[in-house]
Amino acid sequence: MTFSGRFLNVKEPTGGPNPQVPVSAGGDRELPGPARKTASRGRGLEAGPGRRSQSNRPGSGHGACAAPCPASDRTARVTESSVSVTNSVAARSRSGVRRAKAPLSASSSVRVSSARALGSAFSSVLAARAVGVRAVAWLLLWEAAGFTSTPATAFSAAPTDTGIRAICSEIILRQEVLKDGFHRDLLIKVKFGESIEDLQTCRLLIKQYIPAGLFVDPYELASLRERNITEAVMVSENFNIEAPNYLSEESEVLIYARQDSQCIDCFQAFLPVHYRYHRPHSKDGETFIVVNNPDLLMYCDQEFPILKCWAQSKVAAPCALKNKDICQWNNMKYKSVYKNVTLQVPVGLTIHTSLVCSVTLLITVLCSTLILVAVFKYGHFSL
Amino acid sequence: MASPKHWGEWFLGLRVTPAGVFGVAFLARVALVFYGVFQDRTLLVRYTDVDYQVFTDAARFVTQGRSPYLRATYRYTPLLGWLLTPNVYLCELFGKFLFISCDLLTAFFLYRLLLLKGLGRRRACGYCVFWLLNPLPMAVSSRGNADSLVAALVLATLYLLATRQVACAAVSYGLAVHMKIYPVTYILPVALHLLPERGGGPGPAQPRRSFRASVFEFLKRLCSHAVLVFVAVAGLTFFALSLGFYRIYGWEFLEHTYLYHLTRRDIRHNFSPYFYMLYLTAESAWSFSLGIAAFLPQFLLLSAVSFAYYRDLVFCCFLHTSIFVTFNKVCTSQYFLWYLCLLPLVMPLVRIPWKRGVGLLMLWFIGQALWLAPAYVLEFQGKNTFLFIWLASLFFLLINCSILIQIISYYKQEPLAERIKYD
Repeated sequence: MTFSGRFLNVKEPTGGPNPQVPVSAGGDRELPGPARKTASRGRGLEAGPGRRSQSNRPGSGHGACAAPCPASDRTARVTESSVSVTNSVAARSRSGVRRAKAPLSASSSVRVSSARALGSAFSSVLAARAVGVRAVAWLLLWEAAGFTSTPATAFSAAPTDTGIRAICSEIILRQEVLKDGFHRDLLIKVKFGESIEDLQTCRLLIKQYIPAGLFVDPYELASLRERNITEAVMVSENFNIEAPNYLSEESEVLIYARQDSQCIDCFQAFLPVHYRYHRPHSKDGETFIVVNNPDLLMYCDQEFPILKCWAQSKVAAPCALKNKDICQWNNMKYKSVYKNVTLQVPVGLTIHTSLVCSVTLLITVLCSTLILVAVFKYGHFSL
Repeated sequence: MASPKHWGEWFLGLRVTPAGVFGVAFLARVALVFYGVFQDRTLLVRYTDVDYQVFTDAARFVTQGRSPYLRATYRYTPLLGWLLTPNVYLCELFGKFLFISCDLLTAFFLYRLLLLKGLGRRRACGYCVFWLLNPLPMAVSSRGNADSLVAALVLATLYLLATRQVACAAVSYGLAVHMKIYPVTYILPVALHLLPERGGGPGPAQPRRSFRASVFEFLKRLCSHAVLVFVAVAGLTFFALSLGFYRIYGWEFLEHTYLYHLTRRDIRHNFSPYFYMLYLTAESAWSFSLGIAAFLPQFLLLSAVSFAYYRDLVFCCFLHTSIFVTFNKVCTSQYFLWYLCLLPLVMPLVRIPWKRGVGLLMLWFIGQALWLAPAYVLEFQGKNTFLFIWLASLFFLLINCSILIQIISYYKQEPLAERIKYD
């Protein structure tokens, strides 16, 4: 579905799509797939970023938005997600949001209806003249480009308009596990919906609970701190690195998140974890470790009203890695992409026990007998 | 069939002096140490072993006057932490240079022992090359593992015994057992080696004695001067060290230095053939009896080998350690160094045709590779390859045993030289 395509279909007196807008492929269809949307959008909006200044009028664009505001910020984000903008920054945030789409898919109908509303609003203008069609089409395209490619600036353009900010945007947290095998990397990405200018002075701390099936090597963390790769520290004492799962306990790790250079509103944290050995299983050769969502803590030097959206309680934790001072961090509520992360661990199969024991003992006894025979045969026994 | 040229004779053809070979070996190790520094700084995968970091951290605690056991996974004698305090005061590379020097000291003892056996300088040097220019001990020492310390102490013990300095040998032996427990198995062959000749010597056939009388006579011989001195001094050294450290560090010292190694049940994957069996039965009622069942072959074999080969102490110790490592419940690649350091001494007497020798060596490497492949898949790709690891470890056991049998069968004892009188 293209914004302009829809509007062209409905209003076009000349028939056929506007040749200047090469969206004919997608223009006739209702809601084609995301890829097509992306492609057609991309081509149509090549000139988009350049015309941003023209379209970013706080007038009609935002005025049209004012009514279905909550839907429209979703719209903005969703349509933003369907725009292939060459800017990799937007691409990164978009991909993060697209994955979070599962709960937001219901908004597609909202998107269609709001777009239709906009389309019909303009149709009355268009019906007047055939010549004006193209001009207005271009104007609308530029506005759409400006509107969709910079949602952040669009919002920041009206900071004082508290009527728009009726509802807080959400923090989206995503946990990923990289690598394979017994040594994995836990990557936690946090994305704020709000503009980060307010939040530049804030720090984010992630309190991750490590289940008994995993362990974190504090010495490895120390070496990563030295190399400035990640800032993480273990909270619990008395851990045994070599113990199996059933003899170990849960532990806690504090990770000081860093700004993600590739994404404007994002923080990320990285933690290497290792599997412990688990009990052998009777049926499958695998068992599961569940990593729950962490606590997200934020501390700002000043009090921002936006924090009230998310802060649910206060937690005491060290202000910074090398600092011994304790600050009162705000425990933030967030929306998580996945309910939790499940890791598969290979374990031994107890159905093999009798076979393994008998064969092992047999072969070791056989080998030792052979060696004994050789010793008696070639050795020189005397006292 | 033309007899294959023995390695020693081939080496004679080369014009190298022992000093030259030692020099090259030293330079190669130093180069590896500096390469390690470079790799640690640039690549993500470090060259230095984790153990070296453990030693350095423990040494740091010692410099602060605290217990080295505050460092998790430090399971060694406090002596090592004390020895490595210059790591903290001077330079972090001090420990590695210490281990390299112990490597060379080991080679020096090998050389002297070979000379004592009657080999020429060039031939002796030729055999030492198997330790000096062998990449495995080079890599192990330059990465910061402390195994060369124990190897040097064991070789020192053997050398001092060969030169009839029983008391000094006993001190060195006590120290070696304090640092790593495995030399304790040598006590039986050493004691047998130090026995005086049977009264009466080779002569007319002895009158038939009852079993009890023979045992009694054996025990009497066991209480000879040399044996008593050795056992007493070694025991005294060991207990003095243990008591001293116990007074300083308490129960932690005993737990980490000795008990951990004796009762260690490492169920994580390793070369041992018993690994999977112990992992599956870790919590079952059979666990203890299976542990005993795994210990019996080791015990029987070690006793038999002691009584068969005690006259040639070096060969006996080599067999002891090989059997110990092969049949142990835990086996990692570091353990191979324990008997590798004795291999150059054994080689002159084990006349395996070199083609067969190379074939056995290749087979040994293939056995390791066959184990490393499923272990890698398990650890770095997370697939369940436990059965394959188990089968590979059994195959590796079979290969090790066949190598041992070949060595035993090709061992040509020296013409029964007169027993060195120790009294």
